[in-house]
Amino acid sequence: MITSIPVLWSVTTLVFLMVHLLPGDPAELMLAESGGSSRSIAQLRHQLGLDAPLYVQYGRFLANALRGDLGRSIFTNRPVTRTILEQLPHTVQLAVAAMMVAVTIGTALGIAAALNRNTWVDNLCVTIAVAGASMPIFWSGLLLILLFSSRLRWLPATGQGALKHLVMPAIVLGLASSGSIARLVRSSMLEVLGQEYITAARSKGLSEYMVVCRHALKNALIPVVTVMGLQFGYLLGGTVVTETVFSRQGLGWLVVDAILWKDFPIVQGTVLWLAAIYTLVNLLVDISYAIIDPRIHYD
Amino acid sequence: MKRAKVASLAVIISVLVWILAGCSSMPAPQGGKLIYGLTLAPSGIDPHVNASSELGIPLTSVYDTLVWQDLDGEFVPGLAESWEVSDDGLTYTFHLRRNVRFHDGTPFNAQAVKFNLDRVVDPQTKSQKAVFMLGPYDHAEVVDDYTIKVYLQEPSAPLLDSLSQVYLGMASPAAVEKWGLDYQMHQVGTGPFMFKEYIPKDHLTLVRNPDYNWAPTIFGHQGPAYLEEIEFRFFVEPATRSLALESGEAHVMGEIPPQDAQRLSQDPDFQLIPVALPGTPLMLFVNTARPPTDDLKVRQALIYATDREAIVAAIFKNLSPVAYGPLTAVTLGYDENVVGLYDHDPELAKDLLQQAGWVDANGDGVLEKDGQPLRVEAYLMSWGFMPEVAQLLQAQFKAVGVEMQSQVVAYPAALEAAREGKHNLIPFSLSSSDPDILRTFFHSEGGFNWAKVRDPRLDELLEEGARTLDLEKRKALYAEAQRIIMAEALIIPIRDYVNLNAAQGQVKGLRYDLRGWFPWLYDVYLAGGRSD
Repeated sequence: MITSIPVLWSVTTLVFLMVHLLPGDPAELMLAESGGSSRSIAQLRHQLGLDAPLYVQYGRFLANALRGDLGRSIFTNRPVTRTILEQLPHTVQLAVAAMMVAVTIGTALGIAAALNRNTWVDNLCVTIAVAGASMPIFWSGLLLILLFSSRLRWLPATGQGALKHLVMPAIVLGLASSGSIARLVRSSMLEVLGQEYITAARSKGLSEYMVVCRHALKNALIPVVTVMGLQFGYLLGGTVVTETVFSRQGLGWLVVDAILWKDFPIVQGTVLWLAAIYTLVNLLVDISYAIIDPRIHYD
Repeated sequence: MKRAKVASLAVIISVLVWILAGCSSMPAPQGGKLIYGLTLAPSGIDPHVNASSELGIPLTSVYDTLVWQDLDGEFVPGLAESWEVSDDGLTYTFHLRRNVRFHDGTPFNAQAVKFNLDRVVDPQTKSQKAVFMLGPYDHAEVVDDYTIKVYLQEPSAPLLDSLSQVYLGMASPAAVEKWGLDYQMHQVGTGPFMFKEYIPKDHLTLVRNPDYNWAPTIFGHQGPAYLEEIEFRFFVEPATRSLALESGEAHVMGEIPPQDAQRLSQDPDFQLIPVALPGTPLMLFVNTARPPTDDLKVRQALIYATDREAIVAAIFKNLSPVAYGPLTAVTLGYDENVVGLYDHDPELAKDLLQQAGWVDANGDGVLEKDGQPLRVEAYLMSWGFMPEVAQLLQAQFKAVGVEMQSQVVAYPAALEAAREGKHNLIPFSLSSSDPDILRTFFHSEGGFNWAKVRDPRLDELLEEGARTLDLEKRKALYAEAQRIIMAEALIIPIRDYVNLNAAQGQVKGLRYDLRGWFPWLYDVYLAGGRSD
C-alpha cells in the first residue's frame, strides 16, 4: 500500500509536465470559437489560473489533490472528480466485460493447445493467440464494425446502453488480451500435467475431464491470476482506443477529448484515477493468491 | 317522420362540425418527436459559460432573449417589450414583458435580468464568450419589477446583436442557484422548449413548454410549439451525416458535405436548406511580418495566382459563393466594392513577382532572389476542407513560380504556430452577425491577428466602428477597413460559408436565424402527424 504513493506521485507529475509541454493554450482555444482581443485572451488565461508559472500551477494541483480536490474542468467548469465518476462506470463495465472475454477465450485456447500438444490444434490455438495479441485495437475494431455493422447489420457500430452495444468493444478489447493469457495457460498447463499428482490422479482411474478441470486447472490458473492483474492495466489503456473507435462514453474518451482541448485538470485527474485503480487491482491480485493457493501467506 | 328528419339533420350538422374542426388543425399537426443531427459534441453547453456554436442549436429553443433579430437584421421585442438608448449611447432602458415564467415556475422580471448579466461578468463564471459579447457592460439597475437600466462604460454598437443571441439568454436565477456548478445539466429558461436531459456525446432532449405564450413576432404562430419533443444526436463524422438522414436516423442534419448535399438536393424525399453565414469567409491570413510575404507585391501576387472559382467548383461543388473580402456578402457592413479586386490573373501575378525581384534563374520552375527560392509555408487544420483547398492552391501557386509547403497540424498547435508567426499562410474563419468580428483579426491588438498587421488607421476604423451607433456612418467605417485589408493583401479570401442543412421532406416550417446556425424549431412540425 505504502509503495503505491510514490507510483501515483510520479505518474501525476509526469503527466502534468507532459500536458503542459504540448503546444496550445486553452484560453486561446476557447476564444477561437468566437473571437476577441489579445487582452480578452489574457483575461481568460488569468481567470483560469494559467498565467501562473508552471511550478505554482503544479504546487496548486498537488496541494489540492492531497485534499482530494482535483479541481474543475477548464471547459465545463464542473468538478473533475464528479466528471470522472460519471464516466468511470462505463469504462469499468467495458474493462470487466473485456476481461471476461479475454479469460474465457484465453483459457479455452490455452487448455485446447496444451491437451493437443504439437498437433495442428496446438498450432492453430497458438496462431490465434499470437494474432489476437498483435492486432492493434483500432484495426480489429474497424474490421468488426465493417463486418457486423455495415455488412451484416447485426450490431450497432457506436453508442451504448444495451448489451448489444457492449459486444463488439468487449470482444475487440478482450481479444487483444486473450493472446497472452492463452500462451500462459498453455505452458502452465503443460507444466502441471507433467506433475506426479496428475499421474496419481490418472492412476486412480479418474476421468480425463476430472483430471484436467479439478486437479490441473486449479493449479495452472495461479500464474494466470497474476497476468490478469497486469492485463487489467493493459485493458484500461486499451479502453482509450476502444472508446474512441466505437465512440463510447468513458474515461478513455474523456481523456482523449481533454488532451485535444488541453483541459489539463481532466487529463491529470483521469490519469491519477486510472493509476490508482491499476494499483488497487494489483493489490487485490496479490491478496487473491492466498485464497487460490493456501500455501501463500502474507504476514 | 319529423323526428327522423331532425335526427338526420343533427347527424349531418355534427359531421360537418367534426370535419371543420379537423380542418382547422390541418396546417400544423401537433405532436411528434423530431430528431436533429448535430455535428460536434461540445465540451460544455452553458451558453453563459461556453462558446461553441453547436450549443446554440438546441438551446436557442430553451432560452428567450431580451430582443430578437428578424431575418432582415431588424431588432424586434422579445422578453423586452420596448427599449430606449440614451443619446450618449451609454444607457439602455428595457421595459420587460409581464406574465412570463421560467420553466421552473419562477417569474421572469428585472431582478432576473440583472442576475443573468451579473452572472455573465462574474469572474467565477469563467465565461468564454458571453462576457466578451457584453463588452463594455458596467452594471445594471433594477428600476422596478419590469424596468431595467443597463449602463455601459462606452457605447457598443454590437450590443443589441449580442443581447439577441442565446449566449445572453435569460436563465432562471432560482435554477442557477439551486444547481450551482451542475447547472449546465439542468438548464432552465423561458423558451418554447424545456431542457429534459443531456448525456454528453450521446443525446440532448428537449420537451415542449405547454405554458409558452410569449413568442416574438418573427415566428409564425403563438402558444406552445407544435413538436412534443426534440432529440439532438451527434454525428461527428461528416461521412455519416447524409447516411443517417437517408436511413431515417435523423429528420434534420447540419453541415452536410458538399458532394452529399448535391445528391440530396436532387432527391425529392429530402430538402436541402442552404443558409449563407454572416461573418468572415474561409480565408488564408498572409503573414506580413515574415519573408517572403512581408513584401506587398508577393502578397498581391498570391491572391492573383489563386483561382477561387476553380476551388469553389471542385471542392465546394459551387454550393458556396466565391469570397472577395474579409466579410461574407450577407454580413452587415459588407462592402461590395471588394468584388473583382483580385480576379484570377496568373500573368499579373508573375509580373508583380518579377517587379519584386523574383526570377527563375536556374530554370527549375521556382523563382529565386539572392539565391533563395520563393517558398511560402502554410499551416493547416485538418477540418473544413482546408487540406483539400491547400492542395489546389499549391498547384496554382506553382504555375506562377511559388513553392508552397504545407503541413496539417493539430488544432491547438495550429493556433500556437499562428500566434508565434511561424506561418506565411494559415486559414481561419469565424461566424458573426456583426462586422465587429474584424477587430479580432485585423486590429493590432486582436486576439487572432494572424496577418500580423499594425496599421494605426485600421485600428482607428475598427475601434470607431464598434462605438458608432449610426448605421450609415458605421457602414462607411467598415467599408474603408475592408478596402485597406484588401489593398494591403492581408488575406486570400476563398469562399463564403454556407451551412448546408438537409431535412426529410416531412419536416415543415424549418427556418434558420440571421446567424445561419441556429434553427427556429418553434414553428417546425412533421407533416403526416405524429412520427416517432
